[in-house]
Amino acid sequence: MSEIRFETIPVGNLRVHVCSTDKFKTNLLSAMVQQELSSSSVTRHALLPSVLQRGTESYPSTLQLKRKLDELYGATLFGDVYKRGERHIMQIGLEVPNERYLRDSSPLLEEGAAFLGELLNRPVIEGKAFKESYVHAEKKNLKQKIESLQDDKIRYAAQRCVAEMCKGEPFSLFNHGRLEDLDSIDPQNLYTYYRDLIRTRPVDLYFVGHLTADQVTRMVEKHFPTRDGQRQSVPVAGVKHSVDRVKEVTDRLDVKQGKLNMGCRTQISIRDEDYVSLLVYNGILGGFPHSKLFTNVREKASLAYYAASRLESHKGILTVQSGVEIANFPKAVDIIKKQFELMEQGEISDSELSQTKAMLINQLKERRDRSADLIDFHYQNLLSGMDRSLESIIRDVQEVSKEDIRKVADNVQLDTIYYLRDKGEGPVDETH
Amino acid sequence: MKRIEHKQLKETLYYEQLDNGLQVYLLPKPGFSKTYATFTTRYGSIDNHFQIPGGDKIRVPDGIAHFLEHKMFEEEDGDVFNRFSERGASANAFTSFDRTAYLFSTTDQVKENLTTLIDFVQNPYFTDQNVEKEKGIIGQEIRMYEDNPDWRSFFGLIDAMYEKHPVEIDIAGTVESIAEIDKETLYTCYETFYHPSNMLLFVVGPFDPEEIMDLIRKNQNTKDYQKQAEIRRFYPDEPEKVAEPQKEARLSVGIPKCLFGFKEKNVDLEGDELVRQELATEVMLEALFGSASDLYQSLYDDGLIDDHFGYDYSLEPSYGFSVAGGDTPDPDRLVERVREELPRILDSGIPENVVERIRKKKLGNYLRHLNSPEWIANQFIRYRFVGSDLFQVIPLLEELKAEEVNRRLSEHIDWDRFAVSIVRPL
Repeated sequence: MSEIRFETIPVGNLRVHVCSTDKFKTNLLSAMVQQELSSSSVTRHALLPSVLQRGTESYPSTLQLKRKLDELYGATLFGDVYKRGERHIMQIGLEVPNERYLRDSSPLLEEGAAFLGELLNRPVIEGKAFKESYVHAEKKNLKQKIESLQDDKIRYAAQRCVAEMCKGEPFSLFNHGRLEDLDSIDPQNLYTYYRDLIRTRPVDLYFVGHLTADQVTRMVEKHFPTRDGQRQSVPVAGVKHSVDRVKEVTDRLDVKQGKLNMGCRTQISIRDEDYVSLLVYNGILGGFPHSKLFTNVREKASLAYYAASRLESHKGILTVQSGVEIANFPKAVDIIKKQFELMEQGEISDSELSQTKAMLINQLKERRDRSADLIDFHYQNLLSGMDRSLESIIRDVQEVSKEDIRKVADNVQLDTIYYLRDKGEGPVDETH
Repeated sequence: MKRIEHKQLKETLYYEQLDNGLQVYLLPKPGFSKTYATFTTRYGSIDNHFQIPGGDKIRVPDGIAHFLEHKMFEEEDGDVFNRFSERGASANAFTSFDRTAYLFSTTDQVKENLTTLIDFVQNPYFTDQNVEKEKGIIGQEIRMYEDNPDWRSFFGLIDAMYEKHPVEIDIAGTVESIAEIDKETLYTCYETFYHPSNMLLFVVGPFDPEEIMDLIRKNQNTKDYQKQAEIRRFYPDEPEKVAEPQKEARLSVGIPKCLFGFKEKNVDLEGDELVRQELATEVMLEALFGSASDLYQSLYDDGLIDDHFGYDYSLEPSYGFSVAGGDTPDPDRLVERVREELPRILDSGIPENVVERIRKKKLGNYLRHLNSPEWIANQFIRYRFVGSDLFQVIPLLEELKAEEVNRRLSEHIDWDRFAVSIVRPL
């Protein structure tokens, strides 16, 4: 199998990462900007991608900007903010069709790079501020986005569980920010925030597609203003957190199905040596259809349609999520707790171990087939400060023993049980 | 085995129809890590009234196609997921209005996993006990969708548009309808719709097509299938007008949802004709509601829509509809604005240069989708089932004329066939 690699080239104080491949029919450019996850910046940071996508110097109206994208054969502009542990990442990128596959051979990528460079560095401004009407409209949209979290009960329960579990820690913040901050944001302070961010915080520019590293470097030099000077690194808190008492939290909304979520501290993050063992632990517990949670909660007890676990690798948190009949909450909690106990006791069959390893390795290898996954994998690795290649993680997965998993299990502590239930009568705090 | 080359796209497809009627398509993707395979039957939630070749007409409970999909994963010697997991393949399935697909993706042991896929789909194992057990699981799946406002608003719209056609039935059925399902009815549906001549196998990935075709051929030769006559499917006569102009539901949501659309009148189409109408309609809808349209931008500026606003068009041989919408703080005002603005566009028509711009956008989107093996496989099958070809989309799109787009505009935008579905907060 051909190895797919990124080459990293510093251009001024930008880091440019290039993956040259002819595997895809599009070229992808993506910028990542890091910020510390904190209550003082979370909402402003969350607002930026949508304000930036409203207009640039050359395409000052959103209609002009969107029509330009259509002319570039439906180039896709995307922007979002997400959490990686206690870092808040802003991503803005552009995917442009490769003209080799079109009858019309005008060079789309060069124009796309110029477009993205301008979008990031020369947005529409009025004096020393973003355009007021754009900021105003996007504040309203962000308000809606925050309010609509409760519309998707699976996401809502996941966010609420983490928010309760990490109360007082930055990680409790929602990636799209807080309603109460919106009033204090204006076009001036948002623009000041952005200028400072883009000048001083780490910026990584990714390219995946059909150009060499030299060609990409020249393109970046031409379209992205480069500066000298150090960028400040973003501090990251440790993940050790001992739990004194398991919290139980119940929210009530008008729902037909109850959501049962649990949050655990694993004391291990992507920066630790035993991270790969944690990956296997999570896989055996609840990562796949053969895992303990799916098998026992769904297939054996017929209690749920979904029951799974997930890792937040930078924060060292493992969460369980399931949707169950409200009356069955106690039964489901017992079954899930039992699965954690089995993990601690090392009750893992040979086939559970071998199936999980095979599935994890497959998942890792499949990441080579999507350009967005290639970027994500490289960037997570870069944030972790550990130089792990896909191949080395695969090798490490193969080495993990039952004893390694038991050691991980010793550290995993249940922190919070979260219930989302109906508004009907009944005690608010169940005892189990 | 036939070889079909698409030079401009640099893709080569291999095809063979086996003796038992199974159609097999292989698309080698050198340089990719994963192989994706889907084994799909032309059988979905709308096929609830049919005649078994040589037998009686029968009507089956709502949600049975989806129920059958769940039950296929159980075999006498256990759960099929384990067999895939053992070989690092991730397996899944889905049921839509028109088809049921079983699939896996893997980076290793392609042949073994492919054999598992074909064998489990061709080996039903239903017992009274395992059928009963599944009712609890699917009951929770139905519950999950009942709490999902996007799903509720979508089915609200279909329900408003359709009076008789089974497209209005929820794919998973209801807790009551699945209670009626038993193993005998499951076997009847299975015997009718899972005959190889009603199915298509598509495999895409970094493999040698000769070897894979050989494996499939040999596998099928060991199984004894009798020739099956054509399956007759019955759909009721559906009025042209919508059943109800508006449906509403109340759910615990933060922001109201509003979907609206037009019920299609020209539905008796197939093959390239169907695809041509689909493309012309999609271009027309993009001109009306796309993110670079005047209407979209003005609704956005007025805060009536956000960037999740979208549109879609579905056209199948027995039904069709357009749908547009998303989150909005004021559903009534949004619908009012659409009702005000569309007649103006209907008068002025869609200019040639707008059709050109949208054509470019659609060509680019098509290329972007070709990066995804899953998309290629599932779309290819959908186009085959309506009698066309995914790879014909580019030439058909290039040939499309502005007049066709404008004809669709005047045909499709008809207020007697307009329906609205709203989900409001409690």
